[in-house]
Amino acid sequence: MNPENFLNLDRIIHEKGRLAIMSLLAASPELSFTELRDTLGMTDGNLTTHIRTLQEAGYVSVAKTYQNNRPLTTCLITSKGRKAFADYINLLEKIVQQSKPK
Amino acid sequence: METNWAEDHLQTIRLLMERSALYRRALAPISIYVGAVGVAAAVAGCAFKIDLSAKFALYWLAVSLVALTGGLVLVRRQAIRHSETFWSPPTKRVAQAMAPAMVVGLAFGLMVAKWSADFQERYDSKFISLGLIVLWSLLYGLALHAAGFFMPRGIRLFGWGIVLAGLILLGAMVWTDFSTSNISPHAVMGVIFGASHLAYGIYLYFTERKNEA
Repeated sequence: MNPENFLNLDRIIHEKGRLAIMSLLAASPELSFTELRDTLGMTDGNLTTHIRTLQEAGYVSVAKTYQNNRPLTTCLITSKGRKAFADYINLLEKIVQQSKPK
Repeated sequence: METNWAEDHLQTIRLLMERSALYRRALAPISIYVGAVGVAAAVAGCAFKIDLSAKFALYWLAVSLVALTGGLVLVRRQAIRHSETFWSPPTKRVAQAMAPAMVVGLAFGLMVAKWSADFQERYDSKFISLGLIVLWSLLYGLALHAAGFFMPRGIRLFGWGIVLAGLILLGAMVWTDFSTSNISPHAVMGVIFGASHLAYGIYLYFTERKNEA
Protein backbone atom coordinates (compact mmCIF):
# COMPACT_ATOMS: atom_id res chain seq x y z
CA MET A 1 0.00 0.00 0.00
CA ASN A 2 1.14 3.48 -0.80
CA PRO A 3 1.46 5.24 2.60
CA GLU A 4 1.24 8.59 0.83
CA ASN A 5 -2.50 8.10 0.35
CA PHE A 6 -2.95 7.68 4.04
CA LEU A 7 -0.89 10.76 4.80
CA ASN A 8 -2.94 12.77 2.30
CA LEU A 9 -6.22 12.07 4.07
CA ASP A 10 -7.81 15.32 5.18
CA ARG A 11 -7.14 15.48 8.96
CA ILE A 12 -10.15 17.70 9.56
CA ILE A 13 -12.60 15.25 8.00
CA HIS A 14 -10.81 12.11 9.16
CA GLU A 15 -11.82 12.59 12.81
CA LYS A 16 -14.73 10.23 13.57
CA GLY A 17 -17.27 12.82 14.75
CA ARG A 18 -16.57 15.30 11.96
CA LEU A 19 -16.64 12.54 9.34
CA ALA A 20 -20.12 11.57 10.57
CA ILE A 21 -21.29 15.20 10.38
CA MET A 22 -19.88 15.60 6.87
CA SER A 23 -21.51 12.32 5.75
CA LEU A 24 -24.93 13.46 6.94
CA LEU A 25 -24.60 16.91 5.43
CA ALA A 26 -23.32 15.54 2.12
CA ALA A 27 -26.57 13.61 1.64
CA SER A 28 -28.91 16.40 2.64
CA PRO A 29 -28.97 20.02 1.45
CA GLU A 30 -29.25 21.20 5.06
CA LEU A 31 -29.84 19.77 8.51
CA SER A 32 -30.77 21.41 11.77
CA PHE A 33 -28.49 21.25 14.79
CA THR A 34 -31.11 19.10 16.54
CA GLU A 35 -31.33 16.64 13.64
CA LEU A 36 -27.54 16.25 13.60
CA ARG A 37 -27.35 15.87 17.38
CA ASP A 38 -30.17 13.31 17.56
CA THR A 39 -28.97 11.27 14.57
CA LEU A 40 -25.40 11.07 15.83
CA GLY A 41 -26.19 10.87 19.54
CA MET A 42 -23.66 13.61 20.33
CA THR A 43 -23.81 16.09 23.17
CA ASP A 44 -24.52 19.73 22.33
CA GLY A 45 -20.99 20.73 23.35
CA ASN A 46 -19.30 18.04 21.30
CA LEU A 47 -21.35 18.81 18.21
CA THR A 48 -20.75 22.56 18.58
CA THR A 49 -16.98 22.00 18.78
CA HIS A 50 -16.91 19.80 15.68
CA ILE A 51 -19.11 22.15 13.70
CA ARG A 52 -16.92 25.09 14.66
CA THR A 53 -13.83 23.23 13.41
CA LEU A 54 -15.58 22.41 10.13
CA GLN A 55 -16.82 25.98 9.84
CA GLU A 56 -13.30 27.38 10.38
CA ALA A 57 -12.06 25.09 7.61
CA GLY A 58 -14.80 26.46 5.33
CA TYR A 59 -16.43 23.06 4.93
CA VAL A 60 -19.70 23.87 6.65
CA SER A 61 -21.76 27.01 6.95
CA VAL A 62 -24.15 27.68 9.78
CA ALA A 63 -27.32 29.78 9.64
CA LYS A 64 -29.20 30.96 12.69
CA THR A 65 -32.85 31.82 12.18
CA TYR A 66 -36.10 31.76 14.12
CA GLN A 67 -38.98 29.39 13.55
CA ASN A 68 -42.19 29.88 15.53
CA ASN A 69 -40.30 32.21 17.88
CA ARG A 70 -37.74 29.52 18.63
CA PRO A 71 -34.10 29.72 17.52
CA LEU A 72 -33.25 27.34 14.71
CA THR A 73 -29.65 26.56 13.78
CA THR A 74 -29.15 24.90 10.41
CA CYS A 75 -25.92 23.56 8.95
CA LEU A 76 -25.07 22.99 5.33
CA ILE A 77 -22.05 21.75 3.50
CA THR A 78 -20.21 24.33 1.37
CA SER A 79 -18.88 23.63 -2.12
CA LYS A 80 -15.37 23.56 -0.64
CA GLY A 81 -16.58 21.05 1.94
CA ARG A 82 -18.27 18.92 -0.72
CA LYS A 83 -15.06 18.81 -2.74
CA ALA A 84 -12.97 17.95 0.32
CA PHE A 85 -15.42 15.21 1.25
CA ALA A 86 -15.36 13.77 -2.30
CA ASP A 87 -11.55 13.84 -2.29
CA TYR A 88 -11.52 12.11 1.09
CA ILE A 89 -13.78 9.32 -0.17
CA ASN A 90 -11.72 8.92 -3.35
CA LEU A 91 -8.59 8.49 -1.27
CA LEU A 92 -10.30 5.96 1.00
CA GLU A 93 -11.39 3.99 -2.06
CA LYS A 94 -7.84 4.06 -3.41
CA ILE A 95 -6.56 2.72 -0.11
CA VAL A 96 -9.12 -0.09 -0.19
CA GLN A 97 -8.25 -0.93 -3.81
CA GLN A 98 -4.55 -1.01 -3.12
CA SER A 99 -5.00 -3.31 -0.16
CA LYS A 100 -6.88 -5.92 -2.19
CA PRO A 101 -4.83 -8.93 -3.28
CA LYS A 102 -4.13 -8.89 -7.06
CA MET B 1 -0.68 -1.58 7.29
CA GLU B 2 -4.16 -2.63 8.39
CA THR B 3 -6.68 -1.30 5.84
CA ASN B 4 -9.93 -2.73 7.12
CA TRP B 5 -10.53 0.62 8.76
CA ALA B 6 -10.82 2.22 5.31
CA GLU B 7 -13.58 -0.18 4.30
CA ASP B 8 -15.27 0.33 7.67
CA HIS B 9 -15.07 4.10 7.18
CA LEU B 10 -16.65 3.84 3.74
CA GLN B 11 -19.39 1.57 5.07
CA THR B 12 -20.13 4.01 7.92
CA ILE B 13 -20.20 6.94 5.50
CA ARG B 14 -22.68 5.07 3.27
CA LEU B 15 -24.92 4.25 6.23
CA LEU B 16 -24.89 7.80 7.52
CA MET B 17 -25.61 9.26 4.09
CA GLU B 18 -28.57 6.89 3.69
CA ARG B 19 -29.83 7.78 7.14
CA SER B 20 -29.52 11.47 6.39
CA ALA B 21 -31.59 11.14 3.23
CA LEU B 22 -34.36 9.24 5.04
CA TYR B 23 -37.59 10.75 6.15
CA ARG B 24 -37.62 10.33 9.91
CA ARG B 25 -40.96 11.61 11.20
CA ALA B 26 -42.88 9.15 13.37
CA LEU B 27 -45.36 7.55 10.99
CA ALA B 28 -47.49 5.72 13.56
CA PRO B 29 -49.74 8.67 14.53
CA ILE B 30 -50.15 9.68 10.88
CA SER B 31 -51.05 6.15 9.80
CA ILE B 32 -53.48 5.68 12.71
CA TYR B 33 -55.12 9.03 11.94
CA VAL B 34 -55.49 8.22 8.21
CA GLY B 35 -56.84 4.76 9.09
CA ALA B 36 -59.37 6.18 11.55
CA VAL B 37 -60.54 8.73 8.97
CA GLY B 38 -60.85 5.96 6.36
CA VAL B 39 -62.87 3.65 8.60
CA ALA B 40 -65.13 6.48 9.84
CA ALA B 41 -65.69 7.66 6.26
CA ALA B 42 -66.56 4.13 5.15
CA VAL B 43 -69.14 3.79 7.94
CA ALA B 44 -70.59 7.22 7.11
CA GLY B 45 -70.64 6.40 3.38
CA CYS B 46 -72.62 3.22 4.04
CA ALA B 47 -74.93 4.93 6.54
CA PHE B 48 -75.75 7.87 4.28
CA LYS B 49 -76.01 5.63 1.21
CA ILE B 50 -73.66 7.62 -1.01
CA ASP B 51 -74.06 5.08 -3.78
CA LEU B 52 -73.90 6.89 -7.12
CA SER B 53 -70.41 6.60 -8.56
CA ALA B 54 -70.08 10.38 -9.12
CA LYS B 55 -70.94 11.09 -5.50
CA PHE B 56 -68.79 8.17 -4.37
CA ALA B 57 -65.78 9.64 -6.21
CA LEU B 58 -66.30 13.16 -4.87
CA TYR B 59 -66.98 11.89 -1.35
CA TRP B 60 -63.75 9.90 -1.20
CA LEU B 61 -61.74 12.69 -2.79
CA ALA B 62 -63.00 14.93 0.02
CA VAL B 63 -62.10 12.25 2.58
CA SER B 64 -58.60 11.96 1.13
CA LEU B 65 -58.24 15.73 1.37
CA VAL B 66 -59.20 15.59 5.05
CA ALA B 67 -56.75 12.72 5.62
CA LEU B 68 -53.95 14.51 3.74
CA THR B 69 -54.50 17.82 5.54
CA GLY B 70 -54.62 16.12 8.94
CA GLY B 71 -51.49 14.13 8.11
CA LEU B 72 -49.62 17.31 7.16
CA VAL B 73 -50.74 19.00 10.39
CA LEU B 74 -49.36 16.05 12.37
CA VAL B 75 -46.06 16.23 10.46
CA ARG B 76 -45.86 19.96 11.12
CA ARG B 77 -46.53 19.47 14.83
CA GLN B 78 -43.75 16.91 15.03
CA ALA B 79 -41.38 19.25 13.20
CA ILE B 80 -42.21 22.14 15.56
CA ARG B 81 -41.81 19.91 18.62
CA HIS B 82 -38.30 18.94 17.47
CA SER B 83 -37.41 22.49 16.37
CA GLU B 84 -37.01 21.31 12.80
CA THR B 85 -38.14 22.66 9.48
CA PHE B 86 -41.47 21.31 8.24
CA TRP B 87 -40.67 21.37 4.53
CA SER B 88 -37.34 19.60 5.01
CA PRO B 89 -35.43 18.01 2.10
CA PRO B 90 -36.55 14.45 3.03
CA THR B 91 -40.17 15.67 3.23
CA LYS B 92 -39.77 17.23 -0.21
CA ARG B 93 -38.36 14.00 -1.64
CA VAL B 94 -41.25 11.96 -0.22
CA ALA B 95 -43.79 14.46 -1.59
CA GLN B 96 -42.11 14.47 -5.01
CA ALA B 97 -42.05 10.67 -5.12
CA MET B 98 -45.75 10.38 -4.27
CA ALA B 99 -47.03 13.30 -6.33
CA PRO B 100 -47.32 11.76 -9.84
CA ALA B 101 -49.39 8.76 -8.78
CA MET B 102 -51.52 10.87 -6.45
CA VAL B 103 -52.23 13.42 -9.20
CA VAL B 104 -53.27 10.63 -11.58
CA GLY B 105 -55.55 9.23 -8.85
CA LEU B 106 -57.10 12.66 -8.41
CA ALA B 107 -57.60 12.95 -12.18
CA PHE B 108 -59.36 9.57 -12.36
CA GLY B 109 -61.60 10.53 -9.43
CA LEU B 110 -62.59 13.82 -11.08
CA MET B 111 -63.13 12.03 -14.41
CA VAL B 112 -65.55 9.59 -12.81
CA ALA B 113 -67.30 12.45 -11.02
CA LYS B 114 -67.72 14.38 -14.26
CA TRP B 115 -68.53 11.63 -16.74
CA SER B 116 -70.20 9.16 -14.43
CA ALA B 117 -73.53 9.48 -16.28
CA ASP B 118 -71.85 8.49 -19.57
CA PHE B 119 -70.11 5.52 -17.95
CA GLN B 120 -73.38 4.38 -16.39
CA GLU B 121 -74.84 3.83 -19.85
CA ARG B 122 -72.50 0.84 -20.10
CA TYR B 123 -71.73 -0.14 -16.49
CA ASP B 124 -73.67 0.03 -13.28
CA SER B 125 -72.72 2.53 -10.60
CA LYS B 126 -71.24 0.00 -8.20
CA PHE B 127 -69.03 -1.51 -10.90
CA ILE B 128 -67.66 1.97 -11.71
CA SER B 129 -67.01 2.68 -8.02
CA LEU B 130 -65.20 -0.63 -7.59
CA GLY B 131 -63.17 0.05 -10.73
CA LEU B 132 -62.17 3.40 -9.27
CA ILE B 133 -61.10 1.67 -6.03
CA VAL B 134 -58.89 -0.67 -8.06
CA LEU B 135 -57.22 2.28 -9.77
CA TRP B 136 -56.83 4.22 -6.54
CA SER B 137 -55.38 1.19 -4.75
CA LEU B 138 -52.84 0.57 -7.49
CA LEU B 139 -51.84 4.22 -7.72
CA TYR B 140 -51.67 4.75 -3.96
CA GLY B 141 -49.67 1.56 -3.51
CA LEU B 142 -47.24 2.70 -6.20
CA ALA B 143 -47.00 6.15 -4.57
CA LEU B 144 -46.15 4.56 -1.21
CA HIS B 145 -43.62 2.28 -2.85
CA ALA B 146 -41.93 5.24 -4.55
CA ALA B 147 -41.89 7.19 -1.27
CA GLY B 148 -40.44 4.12 0.43
CA PHE B 149 -37.06 4.80 -1.17
CA PHE B 150 -36.78 7.82 1.14
CA MET B 151 -38.49 6.27 4.16
CA PRO B 152 -38.11 3.23 6.38
CA ARG B 153 -38.34 0.00 4.40
CA GLY B 154 -41.71 -1.01 5.86
CA ILE B 155 -43.47 1.59 3.72
CA ARG B 156 -42.48 -0.18 0.51
CA LEU B 157 -43.93 -3.44 1.82
CA PHE B 158 -47.07 -1.59 2.84
CA GLY B 159 -47.24 -0.13 -0.68
CA TRP B 160 -46.94 -3.63 -2.11
CA GLY B 161 -49.78 -4.72 0.19
CA ILE B 162 -52.08 -1.99 -1.14
CA VAL B 163 -51.15 -2.86 -4.75
CA LEU B 164 -51.93 -6.53 -4.07
CA ALA B 165 -55.25 -5.59 -2.47
CA GLY B 166 -56.11 -3.63 -5.63
CA LEU B 167 -55.17 -6.56 -7.86
CA ILE B 168 -57.19 -8.99 -5.73
CA LEU B 169 -60.19 -6.67 -6.01
CA LEU B 170 -59.69 -6.51 -9.78
CA GLY B 171 -59.55 -10.30 -9.92
CA ALA B 172 -62.69 -10.55 -7.81
CA MET B 173 -64.50 -8.15 -10.17
CA VAL B 174 -63.42 -10.04 -13.28
CA TRP B 175 -63.70 -13.67 -12.17
CA THR B 176 -66.38 -13.62 -9.48
CA ASP B 177 -69.75 -11.93 -9.03
CA PHE B 178 -68.26 -9.58 -6.44
CA SER B 179 -69.48 -6.47 -8.27
CA THR B 180 -73.08 -7.67 -8.03
CA SER B 181 -72.81 -8.78 -4.39
CA ASN B 182 -74.23 -6.82 -1.45
CA ILE B 183 -70.83 -5.58 -0.31
CA SER B 184 -70.71 -1.80 -0.44
CA PRO B 185 -67.78 -0.08 -2.21
CA HIS B 186 -67.49 2.05 0.93
CA ALA B 187 -66.78 -1.10 2.93
CA VAL B 188 -64.07 -2.03 0.42
CA MET B 189 -62.55 1.45 0.77
CA GLY B 190 -62.80 1.09 4.55
CA VAL B 191 -60.80 -2.13 4.44
CA ILE B 192 -58.19 -1.20 1.82
CA PHE B 193 -57.54 2.38 2.93
CA GLY B 194 -58.91 2.51 6.48
CA ALA B 195 -58.29 -0.78 8.25
CA SER B 196 -54.93 -1.35 6.54
CA HIS B 197 -53.62 2.04 7.72
CA LEU B 198 -54.95 1.42 11.20
CA ALA B 199 -53.23 -1.98 11.37
CA TYR B 200 -49.99 -0.55 9.96
CA GLY B 201 -50.16 2.40 12.36
CA ILE B 202 -50.64 0.13 15.38
CA TYR B 203 -47.73 -2.02 14.22
CA LEU B 204 -45.57 1.09 13.83
CA TYR B 205 -46.69 2.44 17.19
CA PHE B 206 -45.06 -0.50 18.93
CA THR B 207 -42.06 -0.97 16.63
CA GLU B 208 -41.13 2.76 16.39
CA ARG B 209 -41.26 3.06 20.18
CA LYS B 210 -39.19 -0.08 20.51
CA ASN B 211 -36.60 1.30 18.11
CA GLU B 212 -36.46 4.58 20.00
CA ALA B 213 -35.89 2.69 23.25
